[in-house]
Amino acid sequence: MIEFFNDYIVAALVLGSIYSLGAIGISMIYAILRFAHFAHGDLLTLGAYMSLGLVQKGFIVFMPLPFLVGTLGLAGEEALAPLRMGWHPALTIPVAMVFTALIAIGIDSLFYRPFRKSQAIIMVIASFGIALMLRSAFQLIWGIDDHYYWPIQPPLESLEPFSISAKHLYIGGAVIVLISATHYLLAYTRTGKAMRAMSDDPDLARITGIPTERIVVWTWIVGAALGAAAGVLLGMDTRVRFDMGWNLLLPMFAAAILGGLGRPYGAIAGGMVIGGLEELSTIVIPGDYKSAVAFAVMVLVLIFRPQGIFKGRML
Amino acid sequence: MTLLTAHGMTGGYGGMDILKGVELAVDAGEIVVIVGPNGAGKSTAMKAIFGLVHLREGKVVFDGQEITNAQPERLVRAGLGYVPQERNIFPNLSVHENLEMGAYIRRDDIGPALERVYMLFPPLVEKRKQAAGELSGGQRQMVAFGRALMTDPKVLMLDEPTAGLSPLFMDEIFDRIIAVNETGVGILMVEQNARQALEIADRGYVLATGENRYIDTGSNLLADREVVESFLGGGGGNVDTGNGNGDAGSERDAAAKGAGDD
Repeated sequence: MIEFFNDYIVAALVLGSIYSLGAIGISMIYAILRFAHFAHGDLLTLGAYMSLGLVQKGFIVFMPLPFLVGTLGLAGEEALAPLRMGWHPALTIPVAMVFTALIAIGIDSLFYRPFRKSQAIIMVIASFGIALMLRSAFQLIWGIDDHYYWPIQPPLESLEPFSISAKHLYIGGAVIVLISATHYLLAYTRTGKAMRAMSDDPDLARITGIPTERIVVWTWIVGAALGAAAGVLLGMDTRVRFDMGWNLLLPMFAAAILGGLGRPYGAIAGGMVIGGLEELSTIVIPGDYKSAVAFAVMVLVLIFRPQGIFKGRML
Repeated sequence: MTLLTAHGMTGGYGGMDILKGVELAVDAGEIVVIVGPNGAGKSTAMKAIFGLVHLREGKVVFDGQEITNAQPERLVRAGLGYVPQERNIFPNLSVHENLEMGAYIRRDDIGPALERVYMLFPPLVEKRKQAAGELSGGQRQMVAFGRALMTDPKVLMLDEPTAGLSPLFMDEIFDRIIAVNETGVGILMVEQNARQALEIADRGYVLATGENRYIDTGSNLLADREVVESFLGGGGGNVDTGNGNGDAGSERDAAAKGAGDD
């Protein structure tokens, strides 16, 4: 039993949480903006690389050049020392979230907003283009090698016989905080309720007088921020690589569809189910094929229950 | 005082004009009903007032401001509420959240508005925490009305409020509309159930093929044999007679338009 927990459950929870966080954005963006956001996986990667910068080089990677020159002129090199101090990966999550959200808003206003009134397929293709651009940018800036936040972590001895390492505790803690914050936002704040209202029915939201463009911006903030966090968590669990997010796109879509598009709580549940099934599938099929499980689930859901578990919108 | 005036509304979807010079007016606290056969442009006229159908020509004035082709957010702020025929609630939000969304544009205390809605629609009180999509048809319609009433509108526009409801609920909805009106809210509604609607109407507009055919008080229209025969299906009951008899009233167009001017 303990062996089963160590071998499968820990991995399933970690993977499931990462899928959940990514799927919330995909699900909300689909319902509110009515298109499948193909660049969402690359927002995860973006978040992971931003954290990497903070972990390796300190906050200085986010500082604009004029500011640095100014500081240098005033106080010399030693004033920059605190900015060069590397951060603990877990602490980088909020910063990665903020910067990724800002970039997502920028991408939206430059590349998606002009197509807001066009057919959905045009937005899908635009997002596909953004995905390619982002991935190329990652390769240009960071190369094609794997990067690591920290060396391989042995399981914590104090938690014997469970095989849990520190990174798992950080990931678990971060997921609990993020999901609780998302729940608070969606259930108790005016903006969060308006996001749910808009994902229920964008036309009615407009008729009701809800400022829909502002809610769209909030949707990008929430979707991209949670995506960035998922990327950092994935980086903490495994490694940072230019295609790490892109490779997660299929299971995240499967999770969003399984949970019901436009249903954030469904996306969380869907992510846990897909992550769990993928990990458990390795009992019966070789681990290399586990991503086929997400695909199989997605196809089955689309055939037999296209509205998903929580009755979301149909593709 | 005339609150809402639509003058010579002409427009439609794409290149086709569905409305051809429609006139409408609602005075403060009045119940105004638009009736007519299918395809007459009743719902389109309402959508055009609310800026959801582009008007090529014509002018809509509400409470002294011109609102032709304005954004819904501005109209809601100005005091105009609109309840579409379908998809008029947020099904996954609770009843209470639906009402809160109705008041989204308000920054002040929404307590009194909530209280008024729960007073007008008592069945909603015990369902407040339930998802609106789980309610019965009649109760969903109450949520939809309530949502639109949260901004304390001066005029509430209802598009076929009894469509798809059983006769029992229809009477209930009509009673609620009267109750809402008695709180001082002007009502402009499109209704298939024309006879019943005209009975409670201060004024009625008969539209056909995108034009005004008759404008008169509700009781006068009900007493007019031509209106009854052409548009209310003679024998009573539902009016949905299609376009077949639409031309019967064309010679009275000019007269009707004259009566529409203030």
